[in-house]
Amino acid sequence: MMKYITRKFVTLIITLLLISAMTFGAFSVIPGDASVSRLGTEATQEQIEALREEMGLNRPITERYASWVFDAIHGDFGESLRYSGITVQELLEDRLPVTVLLAVIALIMMFAFSVPLALLSVRFRNRWQDTVISQLVQVVMAIPSFFLGILLTYLFGIALHMFQPGKFISPSEDFWASVRYLIFPAMAIALPKGAMVIRFIRNAVLGEMKKEYVRTARSKGNGKDRILYVHVLRNALIPVITFGAMIAAQVLAGSIIVEQVFSVPGVGRLLVSSISARDYPVVQAIVIYITAIVVIMNFAVDVLYQIADPRVKGDQG
Amino acid sequence: MEALLEVQNLSVTFAEGGHQKTAVDHISFTVKKGEILGVVGESGSGKSMTALTVMGIQPEDAKVSGRILFQGKELLSLSEEERNQIRGNGLGMVFQEPMTSLNPVLKVGMQVAESLKLHTNLPSDEIRERTLETLRRVGLSDAEGIYDKYPHELSGGMRQRAMLAMAMIHTPSLLIADEPTTALDVLVQAQILELIRTLHQERQISVLFISHDLKVIRQVCDRVLVMRGGRILEEGTVKKVFETPEHAYTKKLVGASVERTGDFRTEKTVLSVRNLNVHYKNRALLPGRNQGKKQVLSDVSFDVREGEIFGIVGESGCGKSTLARTITGLHKEYEGQIVTGGETGPQMVFQDPFGSLNPARTIGWILEEPLKVRGIRSRAERKQMVTEMLQDIGLDASFAKRYPRELSGGQRQRISIGLALSMNARLLIADEPVSALDITIQAQILELLLKINREKKTAILFITHDLSLVRRICHRAAVLYEGKILEIGDGREICDHPKAEYTRQLLAAALDENRMAEMK
Repeated sequence: MMKYITRKFVTLIITLLLISAMTFGAFSVIPGDASVSRLGTEATQEQIEALREEMGLNRPITERYASWVFDAIHGDFGESLRYSGITVQELLEDRLPVTVLLAVIALIMMFAFSVPLALLSVRFRNRWQDTVISQLVQVVMAIPSFFLGILLTYLFGIALHMFQPGKFISPSEDFWASVRYLIFPAMAIALPKGAMVIRFIRNAVLGEMKKEYVRTARSKGNGKDRILYVHVLRNALIPVITFGAMIAAQVLAGSIIVEQVFSVPGVGRLLVSSISARDYPVVQAIVIYITAIVVIMNFAVDVLYQIADPRVKGDQG
Repeated sequence: MEALLEVQNLSVTFAEGGHQKTAVDHISFTVKKGEILGVVGESGSGKSMTALTVMGIQPEDAKVSGRILFQGKELLSLSEEERNQIRGNGLGMVFQEPMTSLNPVLKVGMQVAESLKLHTNLPSDEIRERTLETLRRVGLSDAEGIYDKYPHELSGGMRQRAMLAMAMIHTPSLLIADEPTTALDVLVQAQILELIRTLHQERQISVLFISHDLKVIRQVCDRVLVMRGGRILEEGTVKKVFETPEHAYTKKLVGASVERTGDFRTEKTVLSVRNLNVHYKNRALLPGRNQGKKQVLSDVSFDVREGEIFGIVGESGCGKSTLARTITGLHKEYEGQIVTGGETGPQMVFQDPFGSLNPARTIGWILEEPLKVRGIRSRAERKQMVTEMLQDIGLDASFAKRYPRELSGGQRQRISIGLALSMNARLLIADEPVSALDITIQAQILELLLKINREKKTAILFITHDLSLVRRICHRAAVLYEGKILEIGDGREICDHPKAEYTRQLLAAALDENRMAEMK
């Protein structure tokens, strides 16, 4: 197990280095830099040069990357190029909790409705309940998150007045008010992903139902419900764990777009605006954070796997 | 004797692409109280479907008609809930594959105890007590340990014992055993059969015993039904059916034993194995710790001559498959010497060739490929050779256009033999080539191997767990146990006068069948 954790940790470090190098590389390829976006198009060449010198943008890219890595290892992600005087750390501390809260609400919502609906559609397989659920799944899966976001804003915000679009309250100010606002963007993320989860669980359960151990369970006099909940479900949920982790990563990514639509000041919005401002220290830090979260989530999945499937235990050496 | 189960005019059909496929065709039979009734038949005979239908766990799309009376109750008219009351209570069932038939994520104890939990109001500590007791009764002495284990942590034999415990724990009146020993090794098989017979006697449990294996049926059953194509062809006491079979098919089934005639050996050696050692490295969990080796074969030496059929006998795990893989060059890490004569290396014939035949290609293409490899350029010549090959392996030319999935197991095995031959191999390595096949088909494939041996003087390394096959087919044989050759010698001699203790045990397991059949 120790070796397994060490190996995972090394993978994490390598992944982070690769990802950061790639984002760094991307910034040297796209035109324009932070000095231009800060001074505006009216600035003279001398002003720009002076600022570039001051910001350290004139040093060769490898040197800048090396010093960035050195600082990052010491927990220092530098200062934002756009907002002078504000450290990247401060920016993230402000924005990250919002996005994490949004993702968590979205995940809870997603599993809260997809698992029961999937089971319902299995229980009433090939009956009208199943058909209705399958149809809904089909439709919802086809709607992109941002468009669903606009629909939800219109329906719950403008028509039903259940929330005020654009009037986001920070969780540090009033946690529950913040949650109440985030329910709607979370819905925009959760619905399409949840539809996929419904379809996945339904297929996994029906696949398990054909296995021989189900026949054995029937031969002991188990009723339909007991077979589903005691015998099949745990087996069927093993592949769902992996799928769920993939979805969770997508939920995080999905928040970038949805935060725009609902004007939620999270990491996603910060990322988009930082990219257009060429504020590379901020972008770097966000990318690093998101990558780390995804990799750690994958690690958590491996651990969950071992708990759910007794056959995996000890095979990780 | 009183009737426990009466099946009257039972039919099971499936809708298949517009027309009805009949799996069980208007059969009637009775299981009397206190008897073991055998049902014997080949695959597709409807024997397993009959068992599943009596249990009420046939596939959902099956259409069932007729009557099934169990203890006077008509089962087919009962609701699903009422049938659940009987399943696991009056009726218990043991399945063929103890690995896939047990739930992989639930502990063995919980699975064994389930019938008691469902059908009694016993407190949980008493259920646990009785579960442990039943586990011990079926020969699992470390009952406490096994209670908390998962199925994959047990050996095949232990799993089947646990299955038996599961079916027996609530002492059913009728136990339905569907090929309960088919997936097991010879020695374990004998133990499980013995156990079924003892439990039957101790607890007065009647048994409906389904098997394709005549030897097994003969060993445990009082009466037997012979099924084919969904019908019952013949019925009677085991003695009567086996000694004076009436139906032509039963005669074929009972008499289906193939024997080698003649000796086509030459002095030429086609395979020489000297001091072969193979070991797998244990993967170490931590560096520097238990970096041990697992010895799979130790100091194996033997020769096979041209035209010889050489048997390798042993149970699963004895190293016989590793031996085959090493000789064919699939396993490259070994110490010792392997010399194969001739320009083409030895060719494998597998137990189930389905996986080794490309499903997307026709049989003609598959058989032609090795000819291309051999460098036969002319397309017409290759086609001609494929046709001849098909004839040689007992199939007509039309098979060239078919796909592997359209073939039966026996036909696929013929193709696999044909493939090995078209490489012009002087040595075939046949790894349990008939053990997955039905009895009458087994005989045909053995005939084919003997014919090839006779006409082409091809040597065959015949790997099997079945000593009776060795006796009938092999010139010489070696008994392999835990990677070592225990004895080596004349095929008949090894069976008639075994020297090693292990060979005697194997033989005793086989002889048990005869002894038990005589006891009745």
